[in-house]
Amino acid sequence: MLAALKKHKWSYVGMAACLLLLVLLPTEYLLAEKISLLTAVGVYSIVAVGLCLLMGYTGQVALGQAAFFGLGAYISAVLSTTHNVNPWLAMLIAAVATGAFAYVVGFPILRLRGNYLAMATLGLGIIMWVLFRNLSQYTGGPDGITGVPDLSIGGFVFDTDLRKYSLIWAFCIVILLISQNVMRSRAGRALRAIHGSEGAAESVGVNVTQFKVKIFVLSAVYASVAGSLYAHQTNAIGPGSFDFLASVLILTMAVVGGLASVWGAVFGAAAILILKIEWIPEMSKMSFFRPLFMSGAAYLISYGLLLMVVMIFLPNGLFVSLRDAFDSWRRRRTQRGVAG
Amino acid sequence: MSASILETKALTKAFGGLTAVDKIDLSVEAGKITSVIGPNGAGKTTLFNLIAGVYAPTSGEILFQGNPLGHAPPHKRAALGIARTFQNVLLFDNMTALENVMTGQHPRSRYGFFEAAFRLPKSHREEEAISLAAKRYLTLVGLGMYADRNPLSLPLGQQKLLTIARALATEPKLLLLDEPGAGLNALEKQSLSELIRRIREMGVTIVLVEHDMDLVMGIAEWVIVLDSGQKIAEGTASQVQKDKKVIAAYLGEEEAIE
Amino acid sequence: MTTHLFVQSLTSGLTQGCIYALIGLGFTIIFNVTGIINFAQGEFVMLGGMLSFYFTRSAGLPIIPALLVSVLIAALIGAALYLLTIRTARRASVVSLIIITIGAAIFIRGIAGEKWGVNPISPPAFTGKHPLHFLGATIQPQALWIIGITLAAAVVLHFLFSSTVIGKALRACSMNRSAAGLVGINPRMMALIAFALAAAIGALGGAVVAPLSFMSYDAGVGLGLKGFVAASMGGFKSQTAVIAGGIVLGVVEQVAIAIDWGPFKSEYKEAIALVLLLLILVVRSRKLSEEERVS
Repeated sequence: MLAALKKHKWSYVGMAACLLLLVLLPTEYLLAEKISLLTAVGVYSIVAVGLCLLMGYTGQVALGQAAFFGLGAYISAVLSTTHNVNPWLAMLIAAVATGAFAYVVGFPILRLRGNYLAMATLGLGIIMWVLFRNLSQYTGGPDGITGVPDLSIGGFVFDTDLRKYSLIWAFCIVILLISQNVMRSRAGRALRAIHGSEGAAESVGVNVTQFKVKIFVLSAVYASVAGSLYAHQTNAIGPGSFDFLASVLILTMAVVGGLASVWGAVFGAAAILILKIEWIPEMSKMSFFRPLFMSGAAYLISYGLLLMVVMIFLPNGLFVSLRDAFDSWRRRRTQRGVAG
Repeated sequence: MSASILETKALTKAFGGLTAVDKIDLSVEAGKITSVIGPNGAGKTTLFNLIAGVYAPTSGEILFQGNPLGHAPPHKRAALGIARTFQNVLLFDNMTALENVMTGQHPRSRYGFFEAAFRLPKSHREEEAISLAAKRYLTLVGLGMYADRNPLSLPLGQQKLLTIARALATEPKLLLLDEPGAGLNALEKQSLSELIRRIREMGVTIVLVEHDMDLVMGIAEWVIVLDSGQKIAEGTASQVQKDKKVIAAYLGEEEAIE
Repeated sequence: MTTHLFVQSLTSGLTQGCIYALIGLGFTIIFNVTGIINFAQGEFVMLGGMLSFYFTRSAGLPIIPALLVSVLIAALIGAALYLLTIRTARRASVVSLIIITIGAAIFIRGIAGEKWGVNPISPPAFTGKHPLHFLGATIQPQALWIIGITLAAAVVLHFLFSSTVIGKALRACSMNRSAAGLVGINPRMMALIAFALAAAIGALGGAVVAPLSFMSYDAGVGLGLKGFVAASMGGFKSQTAVIAGGIVLGVVEQVAIAIDWGPFKSEYKEAIALVLLLLILVVRSRKLSEEERVS
């Protein structure tokens, strides 16, 4: 136990720092008025982690995570409003349903060589959005669903911004820790082996296809849980949050954060959401940038540029590249210390 | 009469118009070191890939411990006890040397996503066992002090030893070594021969594909010679050396058999 | 469904299908020569429509020059895409390449939305909009242009690949990149040509279909998906199979919409392409040989 503590010393320090940050951020001293942004980072981090693991370890690209995000949101919303199902149960049902759906889609495709998953999930994302928009009797059509109840435990209702923030980040942290545990385990080694060499992984008994499917389903379940949390946080959802652009947003978060990194996903989610909600609107106010940002195209241009630039120059993602740079600086310091 | 651990019956593999392996019947005796040799393009690596399950036979069958392997995929064969190394090494460069060997323990351990996610006691127990076993195999091949190094920082000879350790960690009954001596210097080949003998002492059957004749003649108890996809001779090392067909097959090659 | 409606579906399906076929050919060319799936392929189609709109409506050029200029510009953008992104990202993994081309697609879409706004536009039809009649169905003259140009493009491409030096060099590259390199073919130059060629074909498709069925800055993704399905049906190999695949997709789409019942409504048009794709993939994964499934 102590050995494990020592080995992962810096990551425990990092985690403690982050926890502290999480507790302090929404207070008046720092960013109380940005609490909805902070909460959104929590929600999208969950989705991004799933995608990071999928892309980073199995080398499969999923371009339609918004489909699973939306499924979680809509199933939770519909069940808890129209059918008065307990929201927690609804969330569980949504997660299981979404996972099963991902399995059915993923299993035949992931058996194939090459990256058919990318196109298939692209199409899937488009279809789900079309369905969300058009199946009006179930989904409320373009107007979506309102009146989604808050989550509650016993008598304690998660109704204020601060309570929602805490709940969502509690979920996020648990999911991050679970993911980290898995990555450090036998399954995580198998996944890293797949990333290293699929042929060699098979030769040591790793069922590559099964792992790919498992991770794909996991990423879908994560997205579904995030979607459910999102529905209960905003109390109203509409198809506009689950379109192709949303999938691109999530993809950009994962790429910027780092494809094989659990904590990088949080970094990526934060960076992109800050870009989207804070920076781009700010820049459009500056007269120099005004013509460029007049239309919604500004977002597309930014995400597109980011995806290209990060992937070409820092394919491990910003967070992971920074962390690796830190690690090698640390190593050089200790080596110099030994020599001296 | 020792049992035969691996048999092939009329094993054939054709890629379009090219027949890489042509109706080969062979039998590998358990507990012995067998070597498969032959000129380039003889079909040796294809044979390995067939046994390991990477390729499916066009016709014919492979029997392991008397049972047909059928369409079993490579990961199942690893669980059954067939391990292999690769000509082009294929180490996992995103983990330490020790972790590479620990992956070999995958078919001998069980705990999955759920136990790992919540750090259940079963996961701790199995991790202990995996780690201990991996350390043992790493030390066996002489790389114990490199446990925490990145595999790519090791020279080729040691990388190859590492892949042998990884294959051994699957606790195989049959170990297929694909050109383990390629790229090694004389000293390294010496240690390799000793290692292979030690592995044999452990009761593992070894089949190696190898071009270095000295290495082969030094350790092989049985030699099978392939040429153009067919078996042209087999016997002890000295028998095969004198076989006219074998000499003829190699006449086109640079290497002369001493 | 009446015969008249059925024939109508067939003709509009054939027309749409030709466009899907052209896009599919673009995918196939790039994939064969470089091994890359270019996710920005659909954006070139969009650019073809947008650029020809700009050159005819705003710059006042006559139709044929506008078409040529648009296709040329798209080819240059395709070449630039290759040079600036893929060439620069040496030894990139499959994941990286997919993400890079997606990024490029989004970027191009953003620029297009910025320059030409979000509303659908339509360049002038080549020979007017007076509909023709055939077997009880109405056909726009533009549709005939589409079919004709697709056929012409297919013939030109066939000639290019079978008889010209460059075409043979491209084919050599698709068969074996390193061997091609050994006989003096520069694979990077071939990749550049492949990208430019695929962009040009895509833009051609966009320029001829836009007068008929409008074009908007975000049409690229959907079109790309359908072109991919066409290419998949052709196994990314045979030109004829890709064209056939595109036409089949187009016809199935239109017939399904004409039935207009339940899941076959026009809003779910995209679903048809996806379902077809999934079916193809499932069928293919069933009759897969071991070599293809395992590394």
